[in-house]
Amino acid sequence: MAEEPVGRPSEGAASAAPSTPPGSDGLDLIDVTKVFPGGTVAVEDFYLHVDHGEYVVLLGPSGCGKTTTLRMIGGHEFPTRGDILLDGESLVHLPPHKRPTTTVFQHFALFPHRSVLQNVEFGLKMHGMPKEQRRRRAMESLEMVGLEPLADRKPRQLSGGQQQRVALARVLVTNPKALLLDEPLGDLDRLLQLRMRVELRNLQRQLGLMFVHVTHNQEEALSMADRIVVMNDARIQQIGEPLAVATRPETELVARFMGDNNIIEGLVASREGDRLIVENGIVRASVVAPGDARAVGDKASVAVRAAAVELDRNGSGPGDVNSADCEIVFVEYLGDLVKLHLTAGGDRMLAKVPGEQYASLRGREGETLRIRWKEEDVRLLR
Amino acid sequence: MSGSSGEGTPHLDVEELEQAEELVEQHLPKAEGALGVAEGPQRRGGWITALWAAPGFGFLGFYLIAPLVFIVLVSFWTYQVGAKSGFVTDWTFSNYTEVFKDRVYWDNMWSSFYRSLIAVAACLVFGFPIAYFLALKVNSLRNQIALFVLALAPFWTSSLTRSVAWTFPLMGREGALNQLLSKIGLSSIDDPLIEPLSETSVTLAMIQLYILFMVTPLFFTLSQVDRTALEAASDLGGNWWRTFREVILPQTMPGVVIGSIFVFVLTMGEYGTVRLVGGNAVSSVGTIVNSRVELAVQYPQGAASAVLLVLALIAGVFVITRFSNLREEL
Repeated sequence: MAEEPVGRPSEGAASAAPSTPPGSDGLDLIDVTKVFPGGTVAVEDFYLHVDHGEYVVLLGPSGCGKTTTLRMIGGHEFPTRGDILLDGESLVHLPPHKRPTTTVFQHFALFPHRSVLQNVEFGLKMHGMPKEQRRRRAMESLEMVGLEPLADRKPRQLSGGQQQRVALARVLVTNPKALLLDEPLGDLDRLLQLRMRVELRNLQRQLGLMFVHVTHNQEEALSMADRIVVMNDARIQQIGEPLAVATRPETELVARFMGDNNIIEGLVASREGDRLIVENGIVRASVVAPGDARAVGDKASVAVRAAAVELDRNGSGPGDVNSADCEIVFVEYLGDLVKLHLTAGGDRMLAKVPGEQYASLRGREGETLRIRWKEEDVRLLR
Repeated sequence: MSGSSGEGTPHLDVEELEQAEELVEQHLPKAEGALGVAEGPQRRGGWITALWAAPGFGFLGFYLIAPLVFIVLVSFWTYQVGAKSGFVTDWTFSNYTEVFKDRVYWDNMWSSFYRSLIAVAACLVFGFPIAYFLALKVNSLRNQIALFVLALAPFWTSSLTRSVAWTFPLMGREGALNQLLSKIGLSSIDDPLIEPLSETSVTLAMIQLYILFMVTPLFFTLSQVDRTALEAASDLGGNWWRTFREVILPQTMPGVVIGSIFVFVLTMGEYGTVRLVGGNAVSSVGTIVNSRVELAVQYPQGAASAVLLVLALIAGVFVITRFSNLREEL
């Protein structure tokens, strides 16, 4: 298992490399690339390993290739290159109805002319299960999502949340090896979305089933995933646990997409061992980056989370490394916290401080303020 | 997913979800009220709708209902040589008893019905793939519309021109179709598969003339089918045929029914195509009614045969609508 897989690109997808080689248990996407007719590259050099029982979220802005990736796993698109394996067996040449995966589609895709029960039993019917048995199984599945009293309704007589649950019952009854969810909460009201996140995640834990979930919602990804795959422009940007993706972005795109990061683009001003000082002419930040090969004078960008920024109320005199003198542009009160929109010599900066500090910050737009952050909160971006 | 819902059985905490949904729903009416959405147009709506419908009703009443009522009246009046219009307004049922006894009429009723049945079936069989292709295989709406308009192209010419084209240029003994068939060895010019002025040529002409009345409603109902639902069906284990049978066809039944009604009604009462493409060799209920009126000037009997045809059509349409609950599904 410790054997390092061969033949993958060294840069870019390095962090995407699965920890186990293909041929093992779980889902493997190996060098998957999808080029649409007309030349649009939807997915490129995609490597991913998902374990059984793992909840993986593909996260990215619309058009980043996340849905195409999901559709290739489900068999609704065929990869131009690469292989998709489930428990070591290639799925690529199987049509959707022969794959052990099922999808919960974005707008539920229920059959409008069939009752709730008939929707749920559809998969079993297709697999040739006798009527009595599949009725019973479908009712059990409906019970699981609490909809057995509505078994005879038509989908259009249900609310959005109920339709969502029918869609879930319909796929779960077929005992898939992997459940694919395409923006499953996108059609729900926000309040229901928040509830459903927790419920869906609990259900997945109880079932111990592999879930691959596509969303463009950062918060949703952070709250639900075991691991997040951040995608942008057809490529994987970063794969990691929610905590890592939120606090240790590896690329500028991830830092920007996850939001509320201060990005300092500049040059390496000095270097002592693994410690680099990155400077953009106004702000200087130090970062410890073992293994980074950049020399003095090379381009470098670092990210500092807005939440890691503190106000330095006693600071005066010349600015130090990992601090900046800023002008307050806007004080945004958000209840639990205050978002300070700042500018340091033209560069936009952002600080998030506890809500209690609002009283002392209110109305101070235009004034100067010193901020600082800790070296361990600085991330060197690729 | 095992039997009872005891502890440890996977389930969603439904109560919480229901509460969330309830909250959402409670707020909706308020929001709609604030936006003025909920203010009902129902109260005043009736009169305004009636006003809008009035011209249409007037038109239908004058050109459709009135003549129909008149024909029914005439069918119960008495034929009299020398009288104005050839009948007097004495009530009688004899026109109907005459028609009932008339073997030729019933033979034609049967053959017209049979021909209609073949036309409906053929239009379905040939029309469905066209509609299916247009609605589900062509991806952009623009291409769909372009191809649909192209399919309508034959309708840009008058039906008379088309009927004439069918007779000799296309289906004459040495017409295009027979030449083609003899080229590929299916028949010879001397012993053609399609006799001109025959039952076969009339049926073929009708299929070509009316197939678009089948394709159009099929196209529109197929366009309503949610493509992701088809993906879901294949995802859940349905192959192409099962998906078609279980998901596409049931949703398309309204289109099948409406198209069948169109083709059935139009072909059953056909007169022009039968005369032009069939010549004197083929007759239909339509040509019989016409000969009663035009040649024999027997308006009351002609009217009675026409009324019976209308009744046959109504019966046919009634039977066809049994195949789908239009009111619920449209």
